[in-house]
Amino acid sequence: MPDPAATLKLPLIGILAWLIPGAGHYAIGEHRRGIIIFATIAATFWGGVAIGGVRTTVYPEKKSLWFMGQLCGGGHALIAYAIGESSRDRLLAQNLTSSQARSMSPVQLAELTGNLVATSQWGSAEIATVYTGVAGLLNILVILDALVRGDAPHQRRIRRARSPAGAIP
Amino acid sequence: MNAIGEFFVTPIEIGGIQKALLLLPLCLSISIVYKVTRCERLADVPAAVGALWVTIVVGMYAVGVGLWVVYLLVV
Repeated sequence: MPDPAATLKLPLIGILAWLIPGAGHYAIGEHRRGIIIFATIAATFWGGVAIGGVRTTVYPEKKSLWFMGQLCGGGHALIAYAIGESSRDRLLAQNLTSSQARSMSPVQLAELTGNLVATSQWGSAEIATVYTGVAGLLNILVILDALVRGDAPHQRRIRRARSPAGAIP
Repeated sequence: MNAIGEFFVTPIEIGGIQKALLLLPLCLSISIVYKVTRCERLADVPAAVGALWVTIVVGMYAVGVGLWVVYLLVV
């Protein structure tokens, strides 16, 4: 039976691991490891979004550096970004263009639209951003680990070639 | 908007002690992901996660208390 890791190309494993945290491990046969990683990163990311609200947590116009970290979380960040954008757009007053709205702070937007509940207090907004950013950064570790594990047959060949008797140590 | 959607849009009001307690699940997540990638045997993960989680939490709170004391002395 062929090794599942050998049938998948490394770039595909990397893309899978980025898009769905844990999917890279799942794809190379590390099913339980992948499920644990997926559950942990998903809980961290969406826990953060639940604390601060998606409008102020995933907000590239105001938190661009944090958004880069969040983007490392792949699909989670993309979904949260889409929800946040559509949610902000729904709040727009009729005479505001989308670019004008994006240049405003969440508080300004909320005051304009009369929806103060859309924004979060300082503490919850910052904590939520840290949660989602850390979840994304953890996925970098996961992607690298998936790539190393996915390349295990290659590492075995290197060790075999380096050993004097040609045997696997 | 349905209840689940509203849950992720509406921020949660959190107070002072709650802010400090929110460090615990974040450190747990970091510990789990790190140890799941490092441990070859998944059976070793729970003990390793517990040890790392306690280490991080104690270290972070110690740093926090230390900085708070410095703040009190300086200000």
